[in-house]
Amino acid sequence: MLFDRLQTLALLQLGDSAYPAGGFAFSWGLEGLAADGMLASRGELDRIILDQLERRWASMDRILLRQAFRAEDCLGIARVDRLAEAATPSAEMREGSRRAGRALLGVWFKLDGPLSVAYRGLVSSDTRLGHLAIVQAVVGRDAGLSLEAAELVSGWTLVTGLVSAAVRLGIVGHIEAQRSQEAARMLLAELLEETPPPDALPASFTPFIDIAVSRGPLRHVRMFTT
Amino acid sequence: MSRLSLNKGLAQPRIAASRVGIGGPVGSGKTALVECLIPALTARGIDIAVITNDLVTAEDAERIRRSGLIDPARVSAVEAGACPHTVIREDPTLNIEAADELERRFPGVELILLESGGDNLASTFSRDLTDFWMFVIDVAGGDDIPRKRGPGVIRADLLVINKIDLAPYVGVDLERMHREASKVRGDRPVLLTNCRRGEGIESIVDLLEREVLFRT
Repeated sequence: MLFDRLQTLALLQLGDSAYPAGGFAFSWGLEGLAADGMLASRGELDRIILDQLERRWASMDRILLRQAFRAEDCLGIARVDRLAEAATPSAEMREGSRRAGRALLGVWFKLDGPLSVAYRGLVSSDTRLGHLAIVQAVVGRDAGLSLEAAELVSGWTLVTGLVSAAVRLGIVGHIEAQRSQEAARMLLAELLEETPPPDALPASFTPFIDIAVSRGPLRHVRMFTT
Repeated sequence: MSRLSLNKGLAQPRIAASRVGIGGPVGSGKTALVECLIPALTARGIDIAVITNDLVTAEDAERIRRSGLIDPARVSAVEAGACPHTVIREDPTLNIEAADELERRFPGVELILLESGGDNLASTFSRDLTDFWMFVIDVAGGDDIPRKRGPGVIRADLLVINKIDLAPYVGVDLERMHREASKVRGDRPVLLTNCRRGEGIESIVDLLEREVLFRT
């Protein structure tokens, strides 16, 4: 068994779309793509989820998470966090990632997670720190998750966040949303089958999503942070 | 939430700013109330900052930033992701982070006003987010609102009935509306305002000074 019962329950808790870490306020480009006429159906939603998972999460966020998970101390984690900052060209994407990460870190600070408490001290003094993937590693360590479990939660919360945003944007209904999640579940499992090499560097190629997020501040009507 | 909190990671304890929520239906006058409260609080020497939760635009945040009433850097906007309830109740983390950030940037801030996105009568603030919250309704929304006993009307620390000047024009018996509001709230405070003319604002500030800042 990959995860024991306690770890599985922890996964269900942390991967719940209602977990209070501000995830509902981020569409990660969906709102912009919909506004620009590039997202209007479940098929298009599934393709964007695929892009997000394959070309961003698996090759970038997952790599950063793994490095932060294995870092020896807070300074080591901060080094990975700065790499996340440097490897994200879009200012709005950086800002969104930090806001989401800081919200999650704030929850675990109040829950007295020891690494979260220590790392928040660093994050408070450096505005470049607090990226989501790095905080997911910190929180995963505090929650006693294995690296594999932390990766799973990270990938799954991205999926649930995207699908939930699509429902609120009126792109899919609740049943279609379940179909999208099922498809994404298969894809995520496939991606997790392959272990990245230890020296893998973070990289992403999601130009349409990056542009959609970057154009966010230009739109007058806007429900989501990203 | 205790006003005296030990900020973990810092050597010295500091006084946390009091956080006051302002909720209520769309168009009831929440932003107008904030615009009235800013100069009234400032006139009493209270160091303030503001957070707005706009539903689909940054309209309210921009309105307050451009008002000339407050340093625009002291106004933060938090997007609600189309979930105005969630962002102040079930998952207030983004608002908490925004408030923490304002406290870090302005260490002397004593009171942070958090304006929720316009909503219906069911919105309430998390006690993890606010020390005190008020719910704003207006006479033009109908004098039956207090009788409907929505959670906002019942559970708020203060109910504000705004736009009292419109009562005669919309067929509302203001005295009865006030009486019924007090009755459903078990005589907890209900204050009347006309934000366009600043009427009733000093009473709200008196209450905030007494109940939230413990100044009197």
